[in-house]
Amino acid sequence: MADPHETPAAHGADATHATTSAEHGSGGGGVPQFQFEHWGGQIAYLLVLFVITYVLISRVFAPRLRKVIDDRAATITGALDTAKQVQAEAEDQARAAASEVGEARAQAQRVAAEARAKASAEAAEKSAAADAETGAKIAEAEARIAAMRESAMANVGAIAEDAAKAIVEKLTGKTATAAELKAAGGIA
Amino acid sequence: MASPLEQFEIHKLVDFPDVTLPLVGHVDLAFTNSHLAMTIVFVAIVAFLSAVTSKAQVVPGRLQTIGEGVFGMIDNLTESMLGHEGRKYFPFVFTIFLLILGMNLLGMMLTFTATSQLAITVTFALLTFGLVMIIGVVKNGFGFLKLFWPMGAPLVMRPAVGLIELISFFLRPLTLSLRLFGNMMGGHVALKVFAGFVASAAIGSLGLIIGPPVGLVSMAMVVALTALEFLVAFLQAFVFAILTCIYLNDVVNLDHAH
Repeated sequence: MADPHETPAAHGADATHATTSAEHGSGGGGVPQFQFEHWGGQIAYLLVLFVITYVLISRVFAPRLRKVIDDRAATITGALDTAKQVQAEAEDQARAAASEVGEARAQAQRVAAEARAKASAEAAEKSAAADAETGAKIAEAEARIAAMRESAMANVGAIAEDAAKAIVEKLTGKTATAAELKAAGGIA
Repeated sequence: MASPLEQFEIHKLVDFPDVTLPLVGHVDLAFTNSHLAMTIVFVAIVAFLSAVTSKAQVVPGRLQTIGEGVFGMIDNLTESMLGHEGRKYFPFVFTIFLLILGMNLLGMMLTFTATSQLAITVTFALLTFGLVMIIGVVKNGFGFLKLFWPMGAPLVMRPAVGLIELISFFLRPLTLSLRLFGNMMGGHVALKVFAGFVASAAIGSLGLIIGPPVGLVSMAMVVALTALEFLVAFLQAFVFAILTCIYLNDVVNLDHAH
């Protein structure tokens, strides 16, 4: 609190401030910021520090930081590019694998279809052969049946003639001739 | 109880012989507490930036992240306000921002705040104003005067609006310096006043009845104001940087804006 009193270069404003401050019992010499004799040294020193700081920042610190930030951006971009490339490669491979799988599946289906066709053709052939054999047997059996029926029918004629002869003999007492019987059989 | 203004007094730590300059007059040359505060800030800034950038890595550490955050904040500011020319003026804005921020924050730790000295804030304001003037004249020549001839206004209004523009332009260093000065000084005076009440209450000079409540309320105020002052310390430095960018933009991009 000694300085303000040592510098008697009190301006008008300072003097009034001094009285108001003194009323508060602090004994101050006005608002200290308006003691202009201290301005020159502070301003000069601040200007020097400002220039040094400015030069250091513009020449050293800012370029260094920019370089790091640019490096980082480049690294990130490079990594992203690499990742994209790898991803594209992987997609290509996946596509190739998928097409291979598709091809294999198609081939398998083709093989299966061939096998199926072959098997069904064989089966058809076999069944045709069996059908033919069965048909032959059936025809043979039918022929035999027909022959048997013919012979049976022939026997039936003879039996009918015998029966008719016997009936005629019983009724008339005469023996019918074979020609008469035949004619009667033809009428019947 | 000391005056709340005592904290703003300049004390000589090391005295040098005074000089009398022809134009300036009597200059008191000394290394004062103000010089000490500025030196600490300067050393802290250089040390911080050195630590941040000396071992700068692509994958940043903790300190580097902070440094890059501050750097990026001002870099984005200049870039967004000044466009592609921003990088050229970035070091100036960054220097002003760091020095003011450093002095403001140091004022929260020490008893002396350099930015509560009008001499300091006037210097910062005149640096900005001077740079704006120089760039305006060098870059635009007489076209600089277009700044005061608002093409957007109706013709009859232009002289009046231009006059207002002219006055406000030359008031800029005043508003710049007084805003920072007033904020820092006011905040520290308020802190000191409430802290003084706490001290008075603690030694019992306010009496036993009103002393304790006044002391408690004042203590709460001191805590709250301290938090507020940290915000103000940052905000005023940032405001100064933003205004510097706005003023620079007026003259750097004069042809595009008007």
